Formats: sequence, structure tokens, C-alpha cells
Amino acid sequence: MSDNFTRVDLKAAKIRREDRVFFGIARAAAMFSLVTVLLIFVYLAYRSQNTFRTQGFSFITGSTWDSNEGTYQLAPMLIGSLVIALIALVIAIPSSIAVAYFIEFMAPLRLKKIATTIVDLLAAMPSIIIGLWGMYVFSPTAEGWAKLLNQHFGVIPLFENTTGNFLRSPFIGGWILAIMMIPIITSVSREVMSRVDKELINAATALGANEFATARRVIVPTAKGGILGGILLGLGRGIGETIAILYTLNLIFEINILHPLENKGGAVASLIAARFGEAPDDEISALLAAGVVLFLLTLIVNMIASGIVQRAEKRMAS
Amino acid sequence: MTTYEFQARPDNATPWAVRSNRTNAVLTLASIIPAALSYFIGSAFALPGAVTLLVVFLPIQIVAGIFATGITKGAHRIADAVLAIVISFAVFMVAILLGSLLFSVIKNGIGTLTVPFLSQNNVYISSTTSMDYGGAAHAVLGSVLIVGLTTIVTVPLGIAVAVFLTETDSKLTGLVRFITQSMSGLPSIVSGLFVYAAFVLTGIADQAGWLGSLALMFLMLPTVSRMAEEVLKLVPGDIRNAALALGAPRRSAFMQVILPAARTGIITATLLGLARVIGETAPLIVTTIPGNETNANLFFGPISTLPTYIYKFVSDISETSQHRAWGAALELLIIVGILFAAARILGKQKVK
Repeated sequence: MSDNFTRVDLKAAKIRREDRVFFGIARAAAMFSLVTVLLIFVYLAYRSQNTFRTQGFSFITGSTWDSNEGTYQLAPMLIGSLVIALIALVIAIPSSIAVAYFIEFMAPLRLKKIATTIVDLLAAMPSIIIGLWGMYVFSPTAEGWAKLLNQHFGVIPLFENTTGNFLRSPFIGGWILAIMMIPIITSVSREVMSRVDKELINAATALGANEFATARRVIVPTAKGGILGGILLGLGRGIGETIAILYTLNLIFEINILHPLENKGGAVASLIAARFGEAPDDEISALLAAGVVLFLLTLIVNMIASGIVQRAEKRMAS
Repeated sequence: MTTYEFQARPDNATPWAVRSNRTNAVLTLASIIPAALSYFIGSAFALPGAVTLLVVFLPIQIVAGIFATGITKGAHRIADAVLAIVISFAVFMVAILLGSLLFSVIKNGIGTLTVPFLSQNNVYISSTTSMDYGGAAHAVLGSVLIVGLTTIVTVPLGIAVAVFLTETDSKLTGLVRFITQSMSGLPSIVSGLFVYAAFVLTGIADQAGWLGSLALMFLMLPTVSRMAEEVLKLVPGDIRNAALALGAPRRSAFMQVILPAARTGIITATLLGLARVIGETAPLIVTTIPGNETNANLFFGPISTLPTYIYKFVSDISETSQHRAWGAALELLIIVGILFAAARILGKQKVK
């Protein structure tokens, strides 16, 4: 985007005196937000150095969490977070793209407006409400689906369940995350799809392409960057999700990757919320360390996401 | 004055919309047969609804769609039909899930929204107290106060950041934009944990409302600054240049010309930021102590908010507690909905 007005170079000596204060405030605010992110990170790392020092690398790789022994190892929660995020992505990506395509290209104008509003509203849905619904309404239904999967495909190790309990499993936690992510990914994807040049679509139609070919060869490739960014934004929100997962997932310190139907799961953010109230000093330090790891994880995901979205927007604007 | 007489559109005005009887018959059959067939198969094998839809209905409907399109529009359009069917099906499933979410909050919460629930606080209320006593009024007040303080601090700060990003040319502009954008991914629990570690654990302050506001500020700032930046960019460069050409200092140009022009957009940004933080639970359970009394003091004592009120009652299995949780959830949903509707209505008024 090219600006048609001049920006002020703060280094220039000619800034008027009355503007010094004005730009000083703006600059201070910008520095404040810059420093805040660094400060949060540095301070948490500083407060949790004890844990990183005593636990060493096994903080990430081990799987014991015992405040009596003073052993704090995060692997099952970390892996659990990734497992439910993966399940959520498998559900959310195709659904979100389908909903975005439907709203943008198939729905009549009035439905399109209503659906856009509802999707944006759902993207701002408080997670505690999703947790409440997930615990009392969704979990019993999803338990039935899990039982059916186990009954008919139980031979496949992925759908095995030796515990006999189907509630509060990563399968259900993944669905809950997917429900949180779908509005976010849909909202971004729809926005990007609406910016695909209509001339391109008309050109494809004029060349005799059917809708499927237009979607596959024109719309999706053009909107690809934005959709990917939306997916990563949703993923970032999903990994940091605390309360809704706390209500619908059992936090067990046992690594469970291949049995998503069993009621053994983990999530770093939920662990922090569940444990911090009754934790002794050294466990608080361990929870802060878990916060550092979580922050790093979401920061990386979000930085990649905003980079991709910015680049996609630039490319589509030109 | 000339008067115009209404004239009906001629029947042959849109020849492409006219369908032959054969097309109509095929399309009707293609939409009735799969539904009927999967209903019979579903009830014959006593399959659950979701399974019938996914395993029986979807494949039959796809096959029927392929045949119907092949007959009426030719092989060229078959892929379109499959695409339309699969997408409609996915949208239908998502709509059911998200609809169930909205519907259950309204259905379970509506009975709880009585006068006592809306006007009383939670003092002397146990899990066996009848629903005639006690409510979440203190939690609504707490939410409004905590989020209000957050807004008063965050909005000017966010606008100042946006000014830095739009009006100045500095090496740091890109970095600041990048960092504030990535900050929007700060997990809410980590924000609360930071405030808890920095203030409560060090003994600087006890858990109180203002710490909750501080934790929420980190979550609201990215939303407000990013949207404010976009709104400020939309203000036409010409009126900015006009103000500067008249000799106005940048500060006056901004305060008297640009900011008024961007006013509605900034209010919209604020409302959306509010909608995002008012439902945040995780930072508040870490930084505040939920109380039963009505507390309007943000700097001392236990203070309850709608999310922490729900959090407190969800873990209690008694029936009245669950009613209270659903009721507060509906209140929260209504507040978010109002903020959202206000943002929509304002957002439609374009920058003047």
C-alpha cells in the first residue's frame, strides 16, 4: 500500500517543538508494547530459571510431575497440547474452508450477510461458554461417536481403548478446540476469498472452466497464503486455550499419542490453571517455566502466521 | 409529473432460468431419493443420526447428484455438483454444531434470568439455596469495572501505537507492527501468570481487580492498536495534507482532523477488543479472588466477574449451581452480542 501523505522521520532535526511531545507519546507507547512482550518473556524466564536449572533438558522430555519429589517434567502436557491441536486441525481446516467458500460464493446475499456476522460473533465466543457447553452438551454426544469408532474400527491401534472410559479424551478435547478454531479460520479465509480478483474468476469461467476447476485452480491458489495464515492464527489460539480444555480433557502425566479415544490427555495451558492454586514454591516455578514454553510455542506460530498474512495481503493488493 | 404504470416482467425475460419438466423431475428425484433411502437404512439398522448422515446419506447423495447433473447439464458439470454437495454437507454439520452451542446456552440460561438473579449478589448462597435467592449482579458489576479500567488504559495506548505506526517513519515501525501482531497470540493464561508472578508472588500487591485489568490489557492492546492502525490508514491523505498545508502542527492535524474522521472506526475497534476480553477467564482466576459480596473497589478485596462466577459454579454438581452457571453464561453471551451488534452498526457508517 502506498501512502499519499508524508510520514515524519523522527530522526529529522526539523520537527516542530509542539510536535515533539505528540510524537514522543506515540513513540513511548510503541516502545512500551515492544518492551512489554520482551519483559513478559524475560521475567517469566528469570522466575522459572530454578526449574530449568534443576530439571535440565528433561523438563521437556520427561514425564513425571510430582511435587513431593520435586520432579517437574512437561512432556505429556506438551505432546498432549500438540495432539489435540492436530486433531482439531484435521476437523477444522476442511470445515472452515468449506464454510468460507459457501458464504463467499454459494450463499444468497442476505444469508451471506447474516452468516458473516454470526461467524465473526462466534470467533469472539468466550471460551468458558464453549467449555460449559462442551462439558454438559457436547461430551455425551461425542462419547457416543467415540464408542462407535472403537466398536467398528477398534482393530486399528488408533481407535483402541483399553480403559473402557470414553469421556474426557483427546478426541473430545480436539473437537472442542476445532469448534473454537472454525470461526477464526473461516473468518480469515472468507475475507481472503472475497479479495480474490473477480476478473480472474470471470476469466476462468469465460475459458469454460466449471465451478470446481475455478475453485481448485483459481480461488484456492490465490487465497492460499491468507488461508494458511488464518489456520496458524487459529492454531495459536487453540494451543493457548485453557478453560474449555480443562473442562473436557483429563490431564494425565503419561505420554499418549496413538490412543486419542482413551481418557488420557494433556494441555500445558490447562495444567497451569489446574495446578497453580495449590502449588508449593518450586511447583510455581515449574508452572512459570511451562508458561515460558507455551509462550514460545504460540509466539513462533503467530509470528509465522502474521508474516504469511502480511505477505499474502501485499501480493493480493498488487 | 409523469406517472409510471407497473408492468409485469414478461415470462420469457430470463430464458436461462427456465427449466424443462424433465430437468425438474430429475432434480426433485435426486433430492428426495437419497434422503428417503438413508432414512430407511438408518432406521432399519438403528444407526445414530450423525453416522447415518455421514456414512449413508452423503455417499448416496453424491451418487444421485452425479447422475442428476450428468443427465441435465452434461458431464462437464459433474464435478460442480459433487463440490456443491460436499460443501453444503460440511456447512450443514458446522451449522448444527455451532447452532447447538448457541441454542443450549439460550435454552439452559433463559429460565435463570429472573429478577433476583439479575439484581442480587452471592452472599449466604450455598449449592442448596433455591433459585429465588442470589444472583450474579455483583459479577456483572465486577466485569464492567475490571474491563472498564482495561479500556480506559488500553484505548489511548493503542491509538498512540497506531499513530506511531501510521504517522512516523522510523526503522522500528516494522518491528513494532510485527511484535504487536504476534502479541495477539499471547496465551491468556500466560498473561495472567505474568501479572501473578510479578505482583502477587513478589508481595508488591495482593490479588485484586486492577491486576485483572492489567492482565487483560496485554490481551486487548494488540486488537485495538492493529484495528486503529487500519482505520487511521483509511482516512484520506488529502484532508491530512490540507490540514498540514494550512500550517497546522501534526498534533493539531491529528487531534482535530484525522481522529474525528476516524472516530467511528476507533469506537468499533474498541468494542471488538472489549468483546474479546470480557469473556476471558484464565487471567482472572489467576489474578483476582472471586468474592460473594458486591465489591466496587478495584484495588482491594475479592471481586467477582461473570467468567469467574461461571467458573466457580461449573465445578459444583448441584442442580441450582448449574442453573446459575448457565444463567451467567447467557448474560455473558448477551453482553458480547450487544457489544458486537453495536460494533456492526457503527462499522456500517463509513468514514465521513
